[in-house]
Amino acid sequence: MLPLSLLKTAQGHPMLVELKNGETYNGHLVNCDTWMNIHLREVICTSKDGDKFWRMPECYIRGNTIKYLRVPDEVIDKVQEETSKSRSDRRPPGVGRGRGRGDIGAKPGGRGIGRGQDDGGSKGGGGRGRGGIGGKGGIKGGGRGRG
Amino acid sequence: MASAGPGLESLVDQIISVITNDGRNIVGTLRGFDQATNIILDESHERVYSTRYVLINCDLLPGLLSNALIGSLVQNSAISNKFLSWCLKVCCQHEGVQQLVLGLYIIRGDNISVVGEVDEELDARLDLSNLRAHPLKPVIH
Repeated sequence: MLPLSLLKTAQGHPMLVELKNGETYNGHLVNCDTWMNIHLREVICTSKDGDKFWRMPECYIRGNTIKYLRVPDEVIDKVQEETSKSRSDRRPPGVGRGRGRGDIGAKPGGRGIGRGQDDGGSKGGGGRGRGGIGGKGGIKGGGRGRG
Repeated sequence: MASAGPGLESLVDQIISVITNDGRNIVGTLRGFDQATNIILDESHERVYSTRYVLINCDLLPGLLSNALIGSLVQNSAISNKFLSWCLKVCCQHEGVQQLVLGLYIIRGDNISVVGEVDEELDARLDLSNLRAHPLKPVIH
């Protein structure tokens, strides 16, 4: 399970966020993104020493200033439900997995990056992810190979 | 190609011990992690180390001290250091390692210094209340 999917699942839940500077923010998570930037509502901010408090209706915290997040225990069970659901939706792994990325330009026979590579020829086909649609040239973006 | 992640797959669902950049020691079950070593710790607790002493027999101390005072007045001598440290031993005890329950935590990778596997059997044998150690200092960048 990914930390960020747990965080996403925690949307709407109360949480505690401690920043690298020691301040803590208690509030309800409204939204978050892949950088761990978070948007809280109904926030109480506590100074590092715990001696000063500020209430604010909402705040936005840049992800890289966070030290840790404390999340209600029950959230982890909700993530598992979601991942198992999406897992069953997914096609079984195995043949034809991998992705490729086509050349951005108009070079013929766009080449995949990483695992999925084109079959080298002008013929499309093969289960592996291929880059660009073989040889057709000019097709922008990547073939997401999933056989 | 091997993944560029932190390689913690083998520790998932096991108890791990994390030492953070601010010198805390957090122990919990690893539920997940990502490329940036952000970590999900479930049922976690913090182990707080300290070398402080706490009073355990508060009621004894005044009696002991007043007896010593009277004794020293009678003998016209100062209370010895030896006696005072004995008093401390009787009335005080070091705190040992305190455990704070934290629950479900997401620790940001930036803040993680060390991730260690915990030998549960060995860990269960530890008598934390009798362990004493200085707390770790924070990492200085």
